[in-house]
Amino acid sequence: MLPTKTIREETMELNSEARPAGTSERLADTDRVFLQALVEANRVEHHGRISYMDILFELEHRYGNSLPSPILAEVARLVDTSPAQLNGFVTFYTMLSTAPRGRHVIRVCTSGPCHVSGAPAVLSALKQLLGVELGGTTADGEFTLEDSSCLGICGVSPAIMIDEDAYGNLTPEDLPRILEAKRNGGRQ
Amino acid sequence: MKLFSTQILVPVDSSSVLQGALEVKHVLEETIARFNLAGQVSVVETGALGIYDSGVVLAVFPDDVYYGGVTPQDVEEIVTEHLLKGRVVSRLVIDKNLSTKRLVEKETGKGQQKIVLRNAGLIDPESIDEYIARDGYGALAKALAMKPEEVIQIVTDSKLQGRGGAGFPTGLKWSMVAKEPSAEKYIVCNADEGEPGTFKDRLILEGDPHSIVEAMTIAGYATGARTGIVYIRGEYVLSIARLKKAIGDAHEYGLLGDDILGTGFSFDIEVYRGGGAYVCGEEFALLESIENKRGTPRNKPPFPPQVGLFGKPTVVNNVETFANIPPILLNGSEWFKSFGTAGSTGTKVFSLSGDVVNRGIVETPLGVTLRELIYDFGGGVKGGKRIGFIQTGGSAGTVVSDKYLDIPLDFASMKAYNISIGSGVVLVASQDVPLLPFLAEVAHFFWHESCGKCTPCREGTLQVKWMMDSLVNRTAAPDTLERLARLLALLNDTSFCGLGQAVPLAFESAVRNFRGEFEAALAESHVPEPSQEEAV
Repeated sequence: MLPTKTIREETMELNSEARPAGTSERLADTDRVFLQALVEANRVEHHGRISYMDILFELEHRYGNSLPSPILAEVARLVDTSPAQLNGFVTFYTMLSTAPRGRHVIRVCTSGPCHVSGAPAVLSALKQLLGVELGGTTADGEFTLEDSSCLGICGVSPAIMIDEDAYGNLTPEDLPRILEAKRNGGRQ
Repeated sequence: MKLFSTQILVPVDSSSVLQGALEVKHVLEETIARFNLAGQVSVVETGALGIYDSGVVLAVFPDDVYYGGVTPQDVEEIVTEHLLKGRVVSRLVIDKNLSTKRLVEKETGKGQQKIVLRNAGLIDPESIDEYIARDGYGALAKALAMKPEEVIQIVTDSKLQGRGGAGFPTGLKWSMVAKEPSAEKYIVCNADEGEPGTFKDRLILEGDPHSIVEAMTIAGYATGARTGIVYIRGEYVLSIARLKKAIGDAHEYGLLGDDILGTGFSFDIEVYRGGGAYVCGEEFALLESIENKRGTPRNKPPFPPQVGLFGKPTVVNNVETFANIPPILLNGSEWFKSFGTAGSTGTKVFSLSGDVVNRGIVETPLGVTLRELIYDFGGGVKGGKRIGFIQTGGSAGTVVSDKYLDIPLDFASMKAYNISIGSGVVLVASQDVPLLPFLAEVAHFFWHESCGKCTPCREGTLQVKWMMDSLVNRTAAPDTLERLARLLALLNDTSFCGLGQAVPLAFESAVRNFRGEFEAALAESHVPEPSQEEAV
């Protein structure tokens, strides 16, 4: 695993929203090598084509749930598109973010089935527990709270996802335990 | 293959994992080993059974006993009592059919007929051998021995209609692509299941991924395509993993890749992930997304069968549609037509959610009624309450009252009774759930998911949301319903794609069926006085 710190530290102060992808920032050689390998591996998997989504999901994992603009600029160069095109792609999809997010992203389903079985209570409990509104990140940088359209686990509504883990049949009382476990790096 | 006298199936899917299925499985394996039964009893992971309110389920074969609500603490009792002494632990036994059995027994002859879900919950979805043992890839072998046009003829004769919501005849779609002279064509599986309340495709993908691989390969052979692409929601982590494994295993067995089964036909399948955009369920938006663009729809015509992915002729079918293909090929179109109604053949997989006793997935012949789904399968409303409202077809569907309980659900009744089936959502809200905040949430959903390409949808969904919020907050202007009706007509008439055109369904049907609720909110409303600044 290559060191992931370099870019993250640089971009923590950088306001990605105000600066579109393409703003020139220095990129560490390790990042450059990593990106090149990632794009090439994707090209092989898709028989000469490329899936931006695959690449960007991978990068979100690596760079703390957001996509720093110097990284996007380099990816745009590697996949032979303009930074503006890539930025347009990234900002369209809710699972991708150019703004810095917390270590864990909480997605609260607010769609019909979850709404009927208690999602509003789950959402307001989460806001209170974390002390943030929707879209906000906790002061310690642990959690970003987002709402989400249907997660497709309506059989166990109300449901949320934290990173790649889903939680169902939730009541507000379940939440402190789940958050605490996530904070400590566990599943439940 | 090793033979075991007893098999215990543990359904492991996204939902059962949440209820502790993996812990139970782990303890079960340990306990079986501890009692030296490892040689006789095998523990098999399967896909979902479609039962969600019975906790962790274990199915013991050949005894055909189903246990529900199993915790790690119960495991030793099951092992010592059932496996060692042959005594069924009755306190944990559940009716495996839940109330579907009553459906089967009805004089109408309608029952839960599993075509699409024939393997889900019965086989290990990660084992290609188990899929093959249940006639898997038999349909592909049969198809490859026929002429492509013969394959399409069988699909056409079966009268299979697309299960994604629009109900377009599948055979016709395939023949349109087959007719195109292009050397490059694509088969795309729409697995971007995003319609709120739909969770059937997840169950198929997690429970029987090979059925999709097989069906797409058949479609490729029939239409002359060599490349298949599954576009699947990024959130469906387990579905993606199981599908990728299925593709890899099919390759190893020579059922995918170059020269399939020595016939000279070559086909390959790739997985593309979605990024959390409802509009990508719209076929052109989906194709745009695969092409690494923002997921916005294209002008129609031309339709995807003529100009689709990368500008080439493309079949786009839903997961459930594909899952119907192998059984149709194996058993013939007459067999398929024996299910459902004359105009709507086959089965439909319904996703039952909300305030019902047994939430879950049920596959029944088309023509089933809401009463059968909600009371016979679903076990009725939680707490013995009355039905407040039912949303059918998803957020892009209709909101109806219990007066609609006995209307047969098929593609024809959509037009005759103004009720949609869409992707098969049946969301039940008890009398305790207020309608207007629910509709405000539906409005919020559409506003959030509108892609922004066309003005009517981008701005109209926001206006609908404001109107619904004003009804909830009791700040609605007296002419709100008239303005809402005009706005919805505009959305339906002028939106660029199906997303915007479908927005009116929920609100129009709600006003039609629950006018009293809207009028009560209007009667209680006070339009706030504009502040000094706003007035200027």
